[in-house]
Amino acid sequence: MFGYVRPSVARLTEEDKARFGGVYCGLCRVLGERYGQAARFILNYDFTFLAILLWPDGAEGERLRRGCIAHPIGKRAYYPGNEALELAADESVILAWWQLRDALEDPGEGKAKYRAASLALKTAYRRARERRPDFDRITREKLEDLRRLERERCPSLDRPADAFAAILAAAAEEVSDPVKRRVLEQLLYHLGRWVYLVDAADDLAEDFTSGSYNPLICRFSLKSGELTGEARESLVISLDHSIRLMEAAYELWNFGEWSSIICTVLYEGLFLVGRAVLEGTFQASDMNFRIAGRNKEQL
Amino acid sequence: MTDPYEVLNIPSTATDEEVKKAYRDLARKYHPDNYHDNPLADLAQEKMKEINAAYDAIQKERSGRGSASSGGYAQQSYGGYQYQQRTAGDPAFLQVRMAINRNDLGMAEQLLDRMGDHNGEWNFLKGTICYRRGWVDEARRYYETACQIDPGSAEFQQALHFVENNRAGYRPEGYETFSTGCGGDNLCGRLACFYLSCNLCLGGGMHFFCC
Repeated sequence: MFGYVRPSVARLTEEDKARFGGVYCGLCRVLGERYGQAARFILNYDFTFLAILLWPDGAEGERLRRGCIAHPIGKRAYYPGNEALELAADESVILAWWQLRDALEDPGEGKAKYRAASLALKTAYRRARERRPDFDRITREKLEDLRRLERERCPSLDRPADAFAAILAAAAEEVSDPVKRRVLEQLLYHLGRWVYLVDAADDLAEDFTSGSYNPLICRFSLKSGELTGEARESLVISLDHSIRLMEAAYELWNFGEWSSIICTVLYEGLFLVGRAVLEGTFQASDMNFRIAGRNKEQL
Repeated sequence: MTDPYEVLNIPSTATDEEVKKAYRDLARKYHPDNYHDNPLADLAQEKMKEINAAYDAIQKERSGRGSASSGGYAQQSYGGYQYQQRTAGDPAFLQVRMAINRNDLGMAEQLLDRMGDHNGEWNFLKGTICYRRGWVDEARRYYETACQIDPGSAEFQQALHFVENNRAGYRPEGYETFSTGCGGDNLCGRLACFYLSCNLCLGGGMHFFCC
């Protein structure tokens, strides 16, 4: 995904920062171990958060310390691989792969970086697909739905967001406790929906100039690459409400030692990121994998 | 039976005031108002029952009386807006409402799509189906239309208000009420801090792979 999902770091205790960093570094290591060094470039905060949500109950585990290829000075603390890190690693490879394929199918310039990334991920993707065939199938189907909606220039925010949200919700399918699964399905659905809509807002000006599909342009019949006051208000209501629904879901499960990190994401971090994106001050990631195309068809 | 103090997340040495506060905080968190038409409403209702039972047990134990009451939260509905007195209720829509209550959204939608008269209630029920799917933007538009057609309906107004103003719900202690739009109280200051912290506290170098 895109790195929009962040804790409100100012609220984290030193221990929580170490925990968050430990999951981030742990995920990076698991990506490297399972898929080779090249796969580590797809690491981002969104999947770190996914791993935290999926973390086995009551099993935080010890953080180990080792040197890191990306940080030559000093050692980094990380959690050794577990089922949550493995699931987040496998699913991030599958999602990154299909998003790259999508980007490559779009007509337009500047495909060299996608081609290179795609080449680097090919073997990794095959392995991930073998490990998670169901997630691979759902991702492929939902991204196909998304492309169809884009071709139709669907004027709804909810329909394309639903296709993307369903992919994230599918990440909860392997959770064995039925209550936790329901809670995570709802939480991840709205997280996926929120990511899709925030990404659409982030890309709005660029998509307007290039003539690419963007649900905000179609939903609000925008005549420029900026949201009108009314459109902004509607989008804010949708974003806020999705966050509220994530919070309501989160409160129904005890996430133990991860609670305070999750709280800072849901009760503050997402609002701050959304607001920064709407104000155009969010520092976008260099990893501009686009959600299923935003294909370059002319308006 | 589960330890009522554990349910309220307080030690058994807590004062009466502390018990009351813990109960109020939890009841506010799982209050039916926060779970209107929510697919997880049944889980919230379970939580509420546990909390009420725990509070009642503590009250009973401490007062020595046999009939303490939790204050009535348990009596409210989690199902949506069905508990409202409906004056505009049309019997043709009863089946649709029943399908929605069973969470059979496909059936509810089919029934609505067969109807020709798109009146206020039709739009309201369309909105409810969208809302249950998490389709907030379309839900809001249908609720708006319902309110325009039938401005006197408290049920439609309440649904629209809930989608548009769901900002007063539960917040953990210390968290302000935020919005992605304008209005967050200390948002700008927090925002500067947030970026700084991202770079400094999380080790700076974490951006090597992520950004």
